[in-house]
Amino acid sequence: MKILVVDDFSTMRRIIKNLLRDLGFTNTHEADDGSTALPLLQTGNFDFLITDWNMPGMQGIDLLKAVRADEKLKTIPVLMVTAESKREQIIEAAQAGVNGYIVKPFTAATLNEKLSKIFERIEG
Amino acid sequence: MKLSDKEQLEKTIAQTRDLLEHLENDEIEDAQELIDTLARDGDEDLFIEIGKLTRRLHEALNSFQLDSRITDIAASEIPNAKDRLNYVIERTEEAANKTMDKVEQCNQLADVIAKDSEDLLSEWQKLYRRELEPGDFRKLCKRIESHLEKNKDSATDLHAKLSDVLLAQDYQDLTGQVIRQVITLVQDVEDSMVHVIKMFGNMDGYAAAQNEQKVTKGAEGPVVNKEKRDDVVSGQDEVDDLLSSLGF
Repeated sequence: MKILVVDDFSTMRRIIKNLLRDLGFTNTHEADDGSTALPLLQTGNFDFLITDWNMPGMQGIDLLKAVRADEKLKTIPVLMVTAESKREQIIEAAQAGVNGYIVKPFTAATLNEKLSKIFERIEG
Repeated sequence: MKLSDKEQLEKTIAQTRDLLEHLENDEIEDAQELIDTLARDGDEDLFIEIGKLTRRLHEALNSFQLDSRITDIAASEIPNAKDRLNYVIERTEEAANKTMDKVEQCNQLADVIAKDSEDLLSEWQKLYRRELEPGDFRKLCKRIESHLEKNKDSATDLHAKLSDVLLAQDYQDLTGQVIRQVITLVQDVEDSMVHVIKMFGNMDGYAAAQNEQKVTKGAEGPVVNKEKRDDVVSGQDEVDDLLSSLGF
């Protein structure tokens, strides 16, 4: 399972990578906004995308839309981990095809639960 | 009561006539009294004028002070506040990285202890099941001894690393002080702006703007006053409810 973690704050990327490692996912890579993430996704054979929303450059919601519009990438599961908490935004992400939405601050248990739910749905 | 200019003029003409009459009739004391009255009236007007001038001078001085305060804020305090807030970003990032470094090292130590203990435990259980050869028992004792020694060192190491984690939290005190200074500055800026609005603008517009509900579009980062907003979720549970209501 190759996972791309996109967040503009290196500390948050590190937290997520650590939690993923505890859950047994060691093949994790990083990008600091949508515009650096997209070329990585297009060439990197990633199985999973975790992204923040609010980033300088290309925002997470636009990355999600770009992924869903890309013939090669459109089926990749996307989990949003963000401080954005307006109902309107959560609905927008859902309509854009997000697979899970976690609001910061979050716990390891929440990340674990959302990941398992997404995998269950993919495998089931 | 203050008389109008016309009334004042009529009064002065009448007083002058009276004065002439007193002088013509050789009534010197009456004339003197009238001259004193005229002089007093003049003083009163003078005081009123001085009063008006003083007030204008006071206002001019006040607005001059305000100008210099705003200049000061714009020229040095705002750039200074930017430095202060950057300091907060640097210190918190440094503390987060330091903490995560130590936690990762602690986790590695804990993993090694867990792995070694697990291996030893399975050997130890062989002893109970009488599966150990006589020579193996001696080896097991040696391994247990070195395991205990290693654990003792690991525990000391863990303790030191956890103390480092504890110390890394000193950023809270330092950044807290700096942020408090910036809050004071923001308060000063607000006061100055309200003063300017009072002097040159309209307070009604200000009051109306205070009551306006501000609607933000798009990404806005963490919402700090969630309890005052009804367009945001309060936590993960509400996100999950919203998503399930959408068929997730």
